[in-house]
Amino acid sequence: MAFIKLDDLEVEVEDGTNIVEAARQHGIEVPHYCYHPGLSRPANCRMCLVEPHVFFPPAGAIVPDRQLATACTTVVRTAPPDRKLDGKYDFIVRTDSPRVKKAREDILEFLLVHHPLDCPVCDQAGECDLQDFSHRHGRDKSRYLEVKNVPPKKDLGPDVLLYSTRCIVCTRCIRFGEEVSGSGELGLVHRGSHDEIDIPRSHDGTPLQLLDNKLAGNVVDICPVGALISKDFLFKSRPWFLEQADSVCSGCSVGCNITVEYKADGVYRLKPRFHGDINQHWMCDDGRLGYHYVNSDDRLQLPLKRVDGELTPTHWADALTVIIEKLSEAEAADIVVIGSAQGTNEDNYVLQQFAHDVLETTQLGLFGQLPGEEHKFPQFTIEADKNPNTAGARTILGSANGNVVLEGDALWEKVSGAKVVYLVSGAPERPLEDAEKSALENADFLIVQDVLPSEVTQLADVVLPGTTFAEKDGTFTNSTGWVQRIRKTIDPPGEARVDWEITQQLAKQLGGDLNYHFAGEIALAIAENVPGYQDATHQHIGDAGIKLA
Amino acid sequence: MVEERRILYEHLDVPDINTFDVFCQYDGYTRFEKAIAEYQPEDIAKMVMDSGLKGRGGAGFSTGLKWSFVPKDIKPCYLCCNADESEPGTFSNRYVLEKNPHLLIEGILICCYAMGIETTYIYIRGEFTLGKKMLDAAIKEAYEKGYLGENIRGTGLNVDIYSHPGAGAYICGEETGLIESLEGKRGQPRNKPPFPAVEGVFGKPTVVQNVETLCNLPFIVGNGVEWYTQMGPTYADTRANPPTPDPNTGTKLYCISGDVNEPGVYELDLGLTCTELIEVAGGLRGEEVKAVIPGGSSAPILTHYELDTRLDFTSLTLAKSMLGSGGIIVMNETRNIVDCLLNIMKFYAHESCGQCTPCRWGTPWVRDIVQRIADGEGRDSTITRPKFGIAENGRWGDTGETEEIYEDLDLLESVANNIANVDTMTWNTICVFGIAVSWPAVSYMRKFRPEFEAAIREGKLVTLPVAEATVPPEENYAYQQRFVPQEFADL
Repeated sequence: MAFIKLDDLEVEVEDGTNIVEAARQHGIEVPHYCYHPGLSRPANCRMCLVEPHVFFPPAGAIVPDRQLATACTTVVRTAPPDRKLDGKYDFIVRTDSPRVKKAREDILEFLLVHHPLDCPVCDQAGECDLQDFSHRHGRDKSRYLEVKNVPPKKDLGPDVLLYSTRCIVCTRCIRFGEEVSGSGELGLVHRGSHDEIDIPRSHDGTPLQLLDNKLAGNVVDICPVGALISKDFLFKSRPWFLEQADSVCSGCSVGCNITVEYKADGVYRLKPRFHGDINQHWMCDDGRLGYHYVNSDDRLQLPLKRVDGELTPTHWADALTVIIEKLSEAEAADIVVIGSAQGTNEDNYVLQQFAHDVLETTQLGLFGQLPGEEHKFPQFTIEADKNPNTAGARTILGSANGNVVLEGDALWEKVSGAKVVYLVSGAPERPLEDAEKSALENADFLIVQDVLPSEVTQLADVVLPGTTFAEKDGTFTNSTGWVQRIRKTIDPPGEARVDWEITQQLAKQLGGDLNYHFAGEIALAIAENVPGYQDATHQHIGDAGIKLA
Repeated sequence: MVEERRILYEHLDVPDINTFDVFCQYDGYTRFEKAIAEYQPEDIAKMVMDSGLKGRGGAGFSTGLKWSFVPKDIKPCYLCCNADESEPGTFSNRYVLEKNPHLLIEGILICCYAMGIETTYIYIRGEFTLGKKMLDAAIKEAYEKGYLGENIRGTGLNVDIYSHPGAGAYICGEETGLIESLEGKRGQPRNKPPFPAVEGVFGKPTVVQNVETLCNLPFIVGNGVEWYTQMGPTYADTRANPPTPDPNTGTKLYCISGDVNEPGVYELDLGLTCTELIEVAGGLRGEEVKAVIPGGSSAPILTHYELDTRLDFTSLTLAKSMLGSGGIIVMNETRNIVDCLLNIMKFYAHESCGQCTPCRWGTPWVRDIVQRIADGEGRDSTITRPKFGIAENGRWGDTGETEEIYEDLDLLESVANNIANVDTMTWNTICVFGIAVSWPAVSYMRKFRPEFEAAIREGKLVTLPVAEATVPPEENYAYQQRFVPQEFADL
């Protein structure tokens, strides 16, 4: 640990910490643009200038260094005893001296020279570093009289637009392409004040390569100004109208930490949230843009019942009565209960209890999205398993005595001979493979709990409207054993209900002794009964998640 | 009358000196032979240190000191010869490259021997097509004669030289910009530290030397340190305590252009005055000297008050200017300083690499302000600002009085100083390109303020007589006094 003097604070920081981070840890803001903790540090924005102090032998005193230093590249280390300043400090730095303040004002003035100041129509307004730092550190007027550069607006790829006029050439997006995604589509063209970010183009301007990789959306997040804009979010909402909730991406088994930004009428965007062991600062575009089904107009809002071969909307009491009737008629051995890798641990735990304790069947199945492709990047991996909770569902469904969790062919073999199948899907737009389809068709009575109409619901006799990750509380366990929280953001559409509540309702009507009130209560039961999950209560998991032993 | 002292250029005019055979007739490669026969590598490094040789590329940094920073235990170590001579007003290296490339190769060999270097890159300016052709031919010949390649002259020394043409950017003459460009990246300078001596080409220790510096090495080795130190003055560096010797030894290739009768490259001892130099170059063309740019276009300008300034590294630093690359441009009474500044600022605005904020957007802004003034569109509104001069405490600072100044002149000075502050010699930029912009901008404006004011007042370029165009030294802090802003005055 290095002992440093930061303005008037005396603080300890880890060796190797730069001044931006050291200051951030202690509540001091050092404004910066080009520096991003997940990328290399070119120190080209010059915004983070601070004033280090050095020992000046002729004066026999500690004085401000002649040159200001960039905080992002100035790294603090423990000094040898004879090199300590004032006998105790490893480093002395001021972030608030008149010189520093003037330098910040000067740099901001330069940054705004060619900036169009079109905040009223800019998507970034409200979460823009240029706006914030200008407000906090800048001057109130510009002395620039000349004509501003107006480089063209560019369409870089499927989801990214570049408003070049707003760009401050911090090169974060270029470095992201080189270091994290490894695809390097973006680069600088021209020189000096005509610097522009661009994709490779032929001489007539035809793009030779688009910004079309699965991590492309991250450049929008890391752009400190409104230059790189997501087409998906463009003009949808002002960021200050959005509420935020910490959650976990449900797109694959990596379990990227995300922030769900939403309003009462739906989810507006997902943004990655830092987790040092899982996703760093990033998330993939599959996850980022994969939330649209939550807001879909096609969402199942009422239970459906097959009447004369047609699925017809009905009310909950009716749907449940039909199900109860079928379940009570069937032998335990003829009932198959299938949990979902898209569901939370809580959903699956209640389902498992329902199957084991109430229906007394030990034959459970696991259902989820079909596997996709794995994508590896230098600093990021998108996993092939497209379910967020395969590991958790598998463990929890199989946690009770004698439970067997069937998957794949074994499951479909079992299903095709079953009388009643209770399938919790939750996987939106899940196509069915031939074997799966024929097995489900063979089942006498199929109950499907899902969020969207799909090939699966088409085969069902009763469809129960469930909820997506954005509409419920709970936990996911990712492929590396991290248990993390998802949080309810919006209300489920229509009469759709949280999956475990539906299961619990069925259990109660069949005389089961299940009486949970909220997801955290179920997590306590999981902690008590599922090996390895001792600490996985909502209280313990917090924002960072916990790793299973 | 001062005589030229030709050392580097001694045999420049010999026909076919670019061929190995002729070069050898004129002591070619004997100094290298002497180095490997008589000296250990450490001895050579010590000789260079003792000779007081300062880098001729612009910064004037002690070559021996630079070599001493190179870690001895990290191999490979590279030598980069900076032949990207692109400072306006400088044209000395190209003669060496075009006419006597073997001298450079010999210098490189001595440096490689002293530093244990096996690979050298010569980054040659792309426009030097003839120089590249001659150099490549000389390298080929040296390989054939066994002076390059493996096991040179049976000593076990291996040296390879690669010549690499630049693609036409001024900033690639900056040592780290050069290294980036050499590595195949955009020519943008790196943050320092680490300096190239520690982490340079391909992340390895690298010695970056100008062509002229390397060409001095054969003569230091051949004729000895004592002979070399006789040329040029040695001062005492009073900033050090106790004062240390500050040598300005050797000769310098002065490139004299502008209003002189015989412009060209002159090899002279360091430490001659401007007046003497103009004499050497055939005298002034015109009536009076109005201004002299002493070290390439980025150097602060000297007025007719300063013609007795000695043109060496130390004296010019004390005069708040620099010798730089030795590109001396003389201007007579017909030249308009606003116009000159506009010319220079156009160059710098075009050549800014655009990597860091102040330079990227500051340089074109400065150019635009000067353009406005030169077009007669400078705003004639004035502002009142504190006047600097000899303050009550006897030091240079805020006098407590105020002065009226045209708003555009204040803006010009302020914007230039925000890129790099010429008063405190601090810059907000990554490399010293920033100061190369603000130095001329601020010094021209301060020293020739009447001419700038006339352009604003009259709405057109007005060339004033020399006596009226210049602010006398005692009234202006652009000269030798060191200006200390009030908040740092106590340091």
